Formats: sequence, C-alpha cells, structure tokens
Amino acid sequence: MMEQAINWLKGWLFTTNHKKVGILYIFTSCYFGFVGAVLALLMRTQLSVPDNNFLTGNFYNQAVTMHGVIMIFWFLSPLAIGFANYFVPLQIGAEDLAFPRLNALSYWLYLAGGIFEIISFFVPGGSANGGWTTYQPLGTSQFSPGAGPTLVFIGWILLTVSVTLGSVNFITTIFWMRAPGVTISRIPMFTWFMFFTIVAMLFSFPALIAALVLLVSDRVLGTVFFSLASIQPSILWDNLFWFFGHPEVYIVLLPAFGVIAEVLQVFSGRPLAAKNVILISTAIIVLPLSFGVWMHHMFVTGVPLALQNVFSISTIAISLPFDLITLAFIETLLHGNIRLNAPMLFALGGIVLFIIGGITGVFLSSPVLDRVFRGSYFVVGHFHYVMVGAAIFGLIAGIYYWLPRMTGRMYNEGLAKIHFIVSFIGFNVLYFPMNLLTDMPRRIFTYQSIGDWPLLNGVASIGAYIFALAQIALAYQVLNTWFRGPPSPPNPWGAATLEWPQVQTPVVGQEAPQGGWIGELNTENVGKEKLHDNLSSRPILLTAGIFVALLGVPYYSSSLGIATILIGLLILAYSVIGWAMDDLKERFVVQDSEAGERWPFHLVSKLKLGMWTFLSSEIIFFGTFIGAYLYIRAASPSWIAVGSVHSIPIGALNTILLVTSGLTMALALESIREGNQRNLLAFLGITFLLGSAFMGIKVSEWADLASKGFLISSQNQVISIAASSYYFLVGLHGAHVTAGLIVMIYLMKKTINGQYTKEEHRGIENFALYWAFVDVIWCFLFPLFYLM
Amino acid sequence: MFGLLSMVLAAQPQTAETFSQLFNLYLAFGTAAAVIVISLLVFFVIRYRARDGHDPSKYPVPGWKVALITAMITLSVLVTAEYQTIASESNITIPNDTNAIHIKVLGFQWGWSFTYPNGKTTLNNLTVPAGAVIILNITSRDVFHSFGIPMLAEKMDAIPGKVNTMWFQAPLQTGVYRDAIRCYELCGAGHALMIANLTVVSQQSWQRWISS
Ligand code: HEM
Ligand SMILES: [Cu+2]
Ligand SMILES: [Cu+2]
Repeated sequence: MMEQAINWLKGWLFTTNHKKVGILYIFTSCYFGFVGAVLALLMRTQLSVPDNNFLTGNFYNQAVTMHGVIMIFWFLSPLAIGFANYFVPLQIGAEDLAFPRLNALSYWLYLAGGIFEIISFFVPGGSANGGWTTYQPLGTSQFSPGAGPTLVFIGWILLTVSVTLGSVNFITTIFWMRAPGVTISRIPMFTWFMFFTIVAMLFSFPALIAALVLLVSDRVLGTVFFSLASIQPSILWDNLFWFFGHPEVYIVLLPAFGVIAEVLQVFSGRPLAAKNVILISTAIIVLPLSFGVWMHHMFVTGVPLALQNVFSISTIAISLPFDLITLAFIETLLHGNIRLNAPMLFALGGIVLFIIGGITGVFLSSPVLDRVFRGSYFVVGHFHYVMVGAAIFGLIAGIYYWLPRMTGRMYNEGLAKIHFIVSFIGFNVLYFPMNLLTDMPRRIFTYQSIGDWPLLNGVASIGAYIFALAQIALAYQVLNTWFRGPPSPPNPWGAATLEWPQVQTPVVGQEAPQGGWIGELNTENVGKEKLHDNLSSRPILLTAGIFVALLGVPYYSSSLGIATILIGLLILAYSVIGWAMDDLKERFVVQDSEAGERWPFHLVSKLKLGMWTFLSSEIIFFGTFIGAYLYIRAASPSWIAVGSVHSIPIGALNTILLVTSGLTMALALESIREGNQRNLLAFLGITFLLGSAFMGIKVSEWADLASKGFLISSQNQVISIAASSYYFLVGLHGAHVTAGLIVMIYLMKKTINGQYTKEEHRGIENFALYWAFVDVIWCFLFPLFYLM
Repeated sequence: MFGLLSMVLAAQPQTAETFSQLFNLYLAFGTAAAVIVISLLVFFVIRYRARDGHDPSKYPVPGWKVALITAMITLSVLVTAEYQTIASESNITIPNDTNAIHIKVLGFQWGWSFTYPNGKTTLNNLTVPAGAVIILNITSRDVFHSFGIPMLAEKMDAIPGKVNTMWFQAPLQTGVYRDAIRCYELCGAGHALMIANLTVVSQQSWQRWISS
C-alpha cells in the first residue's frame, strides 16, 4: 500500500511523459485561475458600491496587480500549454515531445515561479502593487520597497525561462517529430495555432526577461536603470514591456483560436473555410506585425505625432487578418450539420465575444479617441472581451472537447449547456458596463457617487458573481466526469484528427502511437494504451535548487539569506551534475523514430534544431539589452569619454583571445568530423584555456575599475549609469562564457571516455554553435563599451 | 458613456466636439459591423442546425474568394476610420496660438499642482478663463502619472524627467467642474484620490484671480 502510494507520487513528480506533464499543467493552471478569480471577486466587491472600505488602497493595488499577472502568466497561457503538451504530440503522431526532461523542467519552473507569486502576499509589505504592466519607476525599491515585489519579479523571470525552454521544445517537436504522412499541409489546426503561439513566445519573452532582469538588478544589485529620472526610465520600460506585451496578447489568444478551429470543423461537419488564408495571414501578417504595433499602448506618453500615426495604421492593419479569420470561422458553418454540444457552444460564444472585443480594439487604435480611453475602464472592457471572452471561452471549449479523450468518460451535457448560458450572460453583465465607463480610471480602489458610476459598477459586480458561480459547474463537471462519468465511446465526436483513437495517419494508414496514462484506469473505452514514462528526478530537483537559491536573493544582506542561497546552489549543482552523469552513462535515452516528416529540417539533427531555436531567442535577449543600452546612451545628457575608463588595449586583447578560442573550437569540431579524438581533446583544452584567460582578465579588469571608483553606487549620475550598463551587460556575457566553460568540462570528460566519434558528435557540434554565438556577442559588446 | 452623450447636447469646446464626431463615426461603424457579423453567425447556426438526410460533405469548401471580398469591405471601413482619425488630429497637435495660456502641471504622489504664467501656484485645482486655448506642460516629480480631462477628451502622461505638452479649449460655460481631472495611470496607494477640479471663470475674473 505504502509502496504503491510512493510509486504513484514518484510517477507524478519524476514524470517526463508529455500527457502527465500536460495534466499537471492543466490542474496547476486551474488552481492559479482560482486564485486570480478570488482576487478579482475581492476587487469587484470593493467596487460594488461607492466609498467602500472593504479593501485598503494598498491591498487593492496588490490584488489588481497579481490578478493580472497570475491570470495571464499562470493561468491562461499554462492552460493552453497543458493542452499542447497533451495533444500536440498526439496530433502529429509523435511519441513524446522532443526533449522530455526539458519539458518536465519547464513545468517545475512554472510551478516554482507561481509559488513565489503566492508567497509574495505573505511577506511584510505584501506583494507587487504597480499593475501587471509594472510601469517604472513605481516598481523600483524606492517606491515599492520590500521583498514581496522582488519575489514577484523573480518568480516571473522563472516563468519566462520556463516558457522559453518550452518554446524550444515545441518548435523542435512540431518540425522534427511528425509521424510519416503528417506533412506540413496535414498538421491539424490546434497544432498550427500552438506553433504560432510558440513562435510569438520565442521572440517576445526574451524582451520581457530582459526587462525583468534589469528591474531585479535595480532592486537587488542597486543598478540605476529605472531610477535615474534624467534618462526617462519610464519610456525605456514602456518600450521594453510593450514590445513583449503586444505579442503577448496574441500568445494568450491564439491557442483558443486553435481549439475553436478544431471544434467548429468537428461540430459542423465541414472543413475549415479558407484554411490557407487563415494560416498564411497568421504566419505572414499577424506574427511579424505583432512586433510592430507596441506603441499603441504609448499614444499619450508624448511620442511624436508621425510615430503615433504609423502605429495607429499598423494596428488597423493587424486587425485585418483577425477579421479574415473570424469570417472564415463563420463561413465554416455554411451548409454544415451543426451540433450544439458544449464545446461548440463555447466556441461560438468565444467568436461572438471576440467580435465585440476586436471592435473596441479598433476604437483604441485611434490616437485621438485614445485621449479619452487610455487608462480607463474602456480598456479593461476591451481586453477582457478578448482575453476572457475569446481566450477563456475557447479554452473551456477545449476542456469539454477533450475531456472524453483524457478521461475515457463523458461529461453531463445538460449541465454543460447551463454552464455555457450562465457564463455567457454573466460575462456580458460583468464586462459590458465597462465599455460604457469611459471616464472612470482603471485600477482605482474607490470612487465617489457621481453620474452613472455606481449603477454601472454595481451591475458589473453582480455579473462577476454570476460568472464566478457558473465556473463552479465547470469544476464539478471535470471532477465528476473524471471519477464517475459514464464511459465515453473512443471517438465520441467523430473527429478526424490523430489524437483520437482509431484515427489513421494519412498515407501510411497506421494508427498513431497512442499511450495514455488514463488508459490504465479506464481501459474499456480507450483500449489498453501503453504508457511509456521515463522517470527522472533531475528536473524537479534542479528546480528546487533554483527555487531555494532565489528565495534567499531578496535577503542576501543577512546571513540567513546567504545560507539559503548557498544551500540552493548546492542542490542545483548536485542536480546539474546528476543530469550530466545521466547523459554520460546513457541512463536517460530518448529513442527517436527513424522515419518522419521533417521538412524543411530533414537534414538537421534534433538537438541542432533545438539549439538554433534557443540561440534565436538568445539573440532577442541580448538584442534587448543592447537596445536598452543604446537608449540609455541616447537619453543620457553626457557620457564617460572613450578610453578614460575602459582600457582599449585590454579590451582588444580579450577580443583576440575570445576570437581565437572560436577558431580552436571550430578546429575541435573539424577534428572529430574526421574522427580524430586526440585532436578533439587537444583543441577543446586550448579553447578552455583561452576562455578561462578571457574570464581571468575580465575579473582583474573589474577589480581595477572598482578600485578606481567606477561603481554603480557612485554619486556621479553619469558614472553610476555607465557602470550599471557596463557591469550588467559584460557580466551577463561573462556568465555565458562561464556556463560554456562548465559545459566544456563535461565535453572533455565525454571525449576522454571516447563517447564522441566520427558518426556521433552532436554534442560538440551544438556546443561549437553556442560558443560561436558567445564570440559574436562579444564582438558587439567590445566596440559598444570600449570604442564609443 | 452617458457622460459622453450629455457632452453632445451642451455647447462644446473644440476638442470635445472633434472627439464626439469621431467617436460617433467609430460607434456607427463598430455597431453596424458587430450587428451584421453576429447576426450572420446566429443565422447560420439556426439555418444549419443538424438535420436528417443532410450531407455536409456534398458542398465545396469555401476558398479565398469570400475572404478576399470581406477583407476588401473591412479594409475600406478601416481606411475611412483611420482617415477621419488623422483628419481629427488637431485635437492632439499643439495649436500655434499666441494668445494661448501656458500652464505647468506637476504630478506627484498624490495630487496635481499647477503653475501659471506669472508664477502663481494652485493645488488640485486648475483655473482657466472660459473658451481660452490652454497649453499644459506636464511632468512628474516621482512616478508615472497620467493627466486626463475626459470631458474635454484630452489626456497626457506625466513622466519623471520628461515634459509633455497637451492642449484644450476651456469650456464655454463658467463654473466649477468638480473632479473633472483625474490620474489615469496607477501610481501607488493614493491613485484613486488623485483628483482635481477644473474651475472656469470669465476672462475678467481670471485676470483678477491670477494677479491676486
Ligand atoms: C482587433 C484586434 C485588436 C486591436 C485593434 C487592439 C487594440 C488595442 C489597443 C490600441 C490597446 C491600447 C489601449 C490603451 O491602453 O489605450 C489595446 C490594449 C489591450 N489589448 Fe487589444 N487590440 C486587439 C485585440 C486584442 C486581443 C486579441 C487581446 C488579447 C487576447 C488584446 C488584449 C489587450 C490588452 C490586455 C490590453 C491592455 C493592456 C494594458 O494596458 O493593461 N487585444 N488593444
Ligand atoms: Cu497591443
Ligand atoms: Cu495615478
């Protein structure tokens, strides 16, 4: 009994199976959704009548901030990622995700970040309170002191790291793991929209990480990126945040569109209308342009009129593909045989609410109208119509649609219909009044009884209770179906995508690999499914190390804080070494199937594709910092003179060292391509020495600079900001070099073991790519800091 | 919203007038689009409810043609709207008016202070002469605020280290417009209380007031 329980627990904590990880994501995200909803109900209660004293201004601000942060980052996206974990591999006929342990790591990092968000409420001073947009300088320690906000931002960084790893994993999976016959044109719509989501994540999240890392650096290390008024840090933050922030709203939306596209086809019996128009316009308009509209959030920050017009027009332009998609969705119904089951109801409801939210968005694209709407409840109404209306309704459609697949049981249709009707009504009672509250500022915790505010707010609060009550029905449905629901037929909706049992892969005609964890519980319907699950304790342990170490960071000036950090680092080191040992000893092996659809990457190895994807997000990451640095240089009234602080000869020497190490690394790769293990080891060794020399010189350079008073704590503002940017960026690069040196130790060990051969040396190949990247970054940093 | 409607009824200063015209255009387009598209969806759902003997696979799959047509229609609506926005940008362009009155606005946690051309300063109350063109130079002493007068359809962020300009025509009707000015960017615990009055007086009393 005991042993069984332990095995059960291990089966969840150490799992790397995509379905189990998916289930973990789904349940965890629903938990966070619950927390976010409680915060929302607290706020709506406070606002239900004028001059209310239910919450203080300070707590209200924490609630409004964390409601936004938790709902967007810990509920909406992770719920979608949960579905993606479960169904993307099934839809393309893959055994699992490309990197199963990395996937588990993504999940644990997401959870660890979420725990930071929750505990931030319980430290003295409470949680972050500057809004989910965290406009600066309100988020700096001068205006938001305390450990709470720091913990929030650290947790948020963990989430962004988790998402970035996940993006690498999914892109590699979708391009490299498709079963024979699942050609590009046969990829199902949910997978397509997840792919678009992931691409947007891959390129936008690095900007958010960069912004958050700068902020945490200000709060913890004392850099001054967001506290020197002379460089207008508010504008820097706005640009960094919204460059990420606008793509983010599509990241929230697109998975729901994927679900809606599947559901519409299945429940109307019609193929998607204008499918290629949808795919192409999303790929070539929505994705690229989503990075070119961010300033519509900044119309009243004082940007020049011409720029406002450019961004107004780009915003209008990006609404066009959405118009196409919506109409194609509706056109799909034409001549159909429409069954109004719960998934279909939620999908249709989501489309209706998206139409309303999209149209209010067009109002907001006008810089003239935005002079009234900006910062008002109209904006709140707008984005809830799209985020709750379209995105959550779409995802609920997904819950009902896939529940039979995940549990082998059927939910109660009558209750589900009531759930839909009450949700739809409650939603509109809650959010429509906000469209009318154009003069009420958002995020105020109280208001006087003026005009129609009491009426509209009262109605909205009633709607909030109705909407929240309706979701109890959803929770009941899920649990009830899971444990007690009547058996469902294997493919209850008659769907034609591969995640459903008995659907055949096209062309080859074989059934896609099935494997379901729940199948063991409920074999009568789904059929005996094999559950391949390679357990690994490394992902959760590694996360635990990071978690403990970061927990100490806000308290690093106390010995207890230092001790916490050290313990965390020990756990981290232990699990990283363990992970590396697993690989050396080949204890955790992922068997790749020989055949598959891999166009256009059929000549590229899986690991290399993952590495490329990762490095492309790293480019955005460094690019953001370099952009921030250039902004600071341009905004700063004066700067340190060239050659006065940074010694050009030393910088040049270091550049030579690093570039040479790039060459020796290339020679190392060349050696093993010819099968020469001895030369490989020799060149790896030289590369290692050159890299170490680089770091050594760096450290002595820093010691020298610090002794000369080139410090971020300098009283001189120019020195302070110059030192902040220098130590930060060069330090970040140094961290990359150091990480590379550590990996090199592992590579040399593996070389000595003779594990690299002429045929099999992917590790070396990928490391060479990484090392070249680190070199190139330095080639940018050297001129930026030493020569200009 | 009802506030906006009542604005339409009274005689309006220029910025508010321009705003309502543009807003009404967007509202007309937006409502029409929503009604048409949502009705179409509802109609399809009713018309094509599951029925016996109907085989949906008999019909060809719609391609890009309908999509193209609808895109053209939407595009023309959007272009018209955008054109009208650009035509209304006098609202957000500082006028070249030598008679304009320049007033400095400083946002702080939590209130607004106003400094008039002769150096006079007021707290949480902006006094202007009826109908005059007012140009505000807005900045902040601490964090990000946003200075908004919804009844005049104007708003501008108050950002530390940066001075932003905004203009409006003062209302024609004298009187105290209570709570007409608010902060529209979360700025800390007192954000909700960052309210100021707009006092409109006649030209003569303004001269007297300012030199007192
Ligand atoms: C037709 C498409 C859309 C257009 C034209 C549009 C336009 C805009 C504009 C101009 C703003 C800035 C308003 C302001 O702060 O003054 C805005 C805000 C926002 N939009 Fe949209 N939008 C569209 C669709 C969406 C979608 C699909 C989502 C999410 C699923 C979304 C989420 C948001 C959010 C969260 C904000 C507020 C951010 C904040 O300040 O907290 N929008 N939108
Ligand atoms: Cu946006
Ligand atoms: Cu404020």
